[in-house]
Amino acid sequence: MRARGFKRGGVPVDHRAPFKTGPIENAFLPLNAIVQLREHRNSVEPVPVVSVGQEVREGQLLARSTGRASSNVHSPIPGIVRRIETTRTPGGFDSKAILVSLEGSFSMLGKRPERYLWKSLNKADIAHIVQDKGIVRVSSGEPLYEILSERSEAPGFVMVVSALEMDPYRRTEEELLALRAEDVVDGCAIAARMALPSRIMFAVDESMDQPTLEPLRELAARSELDITIQRFRRRFPQDLPGQIAEAMDIVDPGTLFIIEPSTLVALHEAVVSNKPHIEQYVYVGGGSIKRPAILKARIGAPIGDLIEECGGFSGHPETIVIGGPFRGREATDLDAPVTRTTRAVLALSPEETKSAPERPCVRCGDCVDACPEGLSPYYMLKLLRSGRPGDAEAAGLGRCSSCGSCSYACRSRIPLVRYFDEARQNEVRS
Amino acid sequence: MKRSRVELRSYPPFIHDWKTSAKAAWICSATLVPVAFWSSVLYGRIAVLTWLTAVAAALAAEAMASALTRRWTLGDGSAVLTGLLIAAAMPPGAPWYVPAASAVFAILVVKAAFGGLGANWMNPALAGVAFAYANWPTHMRDYLLPRFVAGVDGVSAATPLTFAKGLAGGLDIRVMDALRGASYPLSSIDGAVTGFLNDSLFSRLSARLPDGYIDLLIGFKPGALGESALVAVALGSIVLVSLRLIKFEIPLAMLTAFGLLSRIFGTGLPGESFLAGDAMFALSGGSLLLVAFYMAADPVSSPVGRGVCLLYGASIGALSFIFRRWGAFAEGVAYAVLVMNVTVPFIEKAAASLRLRRGRVA
Ligand code: SF4
Ligand code: SF4
Repeated sequence: MRARGFKRGGVPVDHRAPFKTGPIENAFLPLNAIVQLREHRNSVEPVPVVSVGQEVREGQLLARSTGRASSNVHSPIPGIVRRIETTRTPGGFDSKAILVSLEGSFSMLGKRPERYLWKSLNKADIAHIVQDKGIVRVSSGEPLYEILSERSEAPGFVMVVSALEMDPYRRTEEELLALRAEDVVDGCAIAARMALPSRIMFAVDESMDQPTLEPLRELAARSELDITIQRFRRRFPQDLPGQIAEAMDIVDPGTLFIIEPSTLVALHEAVVSNKPHIEQYVYVGGGSIKRPAILKARIGAPIGDLIEECGGFSGHPETIVIGGPFRGREATDLDAPVTRTTRAVLALSPEETKSAPERPCVRCGDCVDACPEGLSPYYMLKLLRSGRPGDAEAAGLGRCSSCGSCSYACRSRIPLVRYFDEARQNEVRS
Repeated sequence: MKRSRVELRSYPPFIHDWKTSAKAAWICSATLVPVAFWSSVLYGRIAVLTWLTAVAAALAAEAMASALTRRWTLGDGSAVLTGLLIAAAMPPGAPWYVPAASAVFAILVVKAAFGGLGANWMNPALAGVAFAYANWPTHMRDYLLPRFVAGVDGVSAATPLTFAKGLAGGLDIRVMDALRGASYPLSSIDGAVTGFLNDSLFSRLSARLPDGYIDLLIGFKPGALGESALVAVALGSIVLVSLRLIKFEIPLAMLTAFGLLSRIFGTGLPGESFLAGDAMFALSGGSLLLVAFYMAADPVSSPVGRGVCLLYGASIGALSFIFRRWGAFAEGVAYAVLVMNVTVPFIEKAAASLRLRRGRVA
């Protein structure tokens, strides 16, 4: 089977975090969980249904969805609601957060999950569970219920289960595919029952070896679904829908519905074990972490706890990043909580960030070589800086996916993508 | 201003490529050190002095510019590189104030006055060299024989290029033989190596390497400091290209165009006929290589797009050929690059509108 390739651009892949298929450990339970109610700049805040001082069970509903772009939020731990207040998130937007401090006993932890036979469920049952349990797409924070039902209304799309990682650090999706192949395939079948794709494609890295892929292939064959496994030549960035579409020679990325194994695992657990979206696989790593590992953490756990569990820092990290080196956000403090979209926490050493003072553009063209969309970032920036956003748009600003490759490559350390993002935000506002 | 700087740091991506403009400039400078070393071996104290003056003057000028604009830029390596490149273009006999003045002109007038690194539309080093040619034409042609060839320091001589141009036409021999016939000094090393190569290799191919090429390669001939170590320059170029510090399309197109034209129309030397010009002599003579890799390919003053770079490089090659073949003196390469520097905004604009139009059609 031929590996599909990405056409151009991207950043060189010299070394990646090692792939180690071992059991994924549960992180310690947080003493205080800060449950952030909005996942994303565009998500609508659900309404709290608990009050300060109230005792809550593990998995009890904390806030109810108000409809579009909003999802139910549940308590990750049993305890007492201490505070409900609006805070600034690392993502730079404000969100209400509910602080629960640990107290009382657990209903889910340590107990063997009862296995519910989902095969008898119909589309409406599944839709109800997905909505009720507040499952969100891990990669984007959108309520899964919403995207699945939207998809089901426009059939004829390909569901892509993408284990293509978004940076050289995190290997979580690949590990999940190896460790929980059965759950992923089942989750896939559940999603397919609701969304009705015309076929399913597993997108995996070219280096995925046969022993890992073989069980997956067998499961796929047994599943009565039209599943193919497609390997992709590695490049970063590679995980955006437009990029996968391009590598597959598909003109309209809209015909691809990209979902990642971690979301499918959450979906599977919701349907089969009745579990709300209160856990998240977080890769804790980077050059300044002593023992990098994937942890299954509760939502609301402070990232500092996870870092401590991985042995703490080695050396002085220059920055702590939530969610990946190319498109993540810097954590302002170690109390920042894990959310349903926190996929990685990286403590990066100066050797990794290689930051340097910003200098004027030297027209080296490295950014042009790096851009996966074939744009000329230096030129767009020049147009923006000379106050010609219209011309920048004509030069392709609209096609920029904010992947960050240009800023990564820029030898003058110009934060190109920041200017592009800001220009587009201004556009929306005006 | 201050505030936005703080925010900038906390914006993704958080990891970067190893390359920085400063590192690139320092590596380029480092690749010139062997050149400086070899020329100092060849010419002795005079050469060392020229290299040092040029770099010191460039640094001093940069420090002055930094103090004026309150932006500390000495660490970015570009001033040292400019100084080194200016020294490389100097004939060993040039009095100290020529490289010094050229370096100051390059940094203060060409670079700083246009707003510092990145804003200069002309390569500062080349502009500095052109400045020297314009102001001290005699000094700039005051070439010396390397001491190994002459036996003593400080013997003036014409460069092979100038010398060859001065030869009367009509001789029916190759240029190197012509040089030899005119009792142009050749080193004993050249004789030995050429003889060995001819006996062992070329005789089997029924060819013959004329005397003198080895001298050209190792710098046993009068020439600018940077020309004296063609091998070192070539090695440095390989480093630049393999680390992707320069756009290799430019030197590639430039040397190809220049070599082809020399082959077709000849170098203006005796003993050539149509389509049988001495391309090898043309390519290895003068500072062509140095200019091609270190100056023409300087990112700031060259175009960005790959295709445009090919066009740009080829134009420089063609212009250099014309200037050298029919121009006033042999070192037209520098002017060729400067002329093309000026045209960059126009070719880029043309290329951009072409792309746009094609984009709309597609
Ligand atoms: S951020 Fe935009 S301009 Fe920069 S490389 Fe990515 S797609 Fe290209
Ligand atoms: S990579 Fe940076 S310095 Fe190079 S052309 Fe692009 S913006 Fe300019």
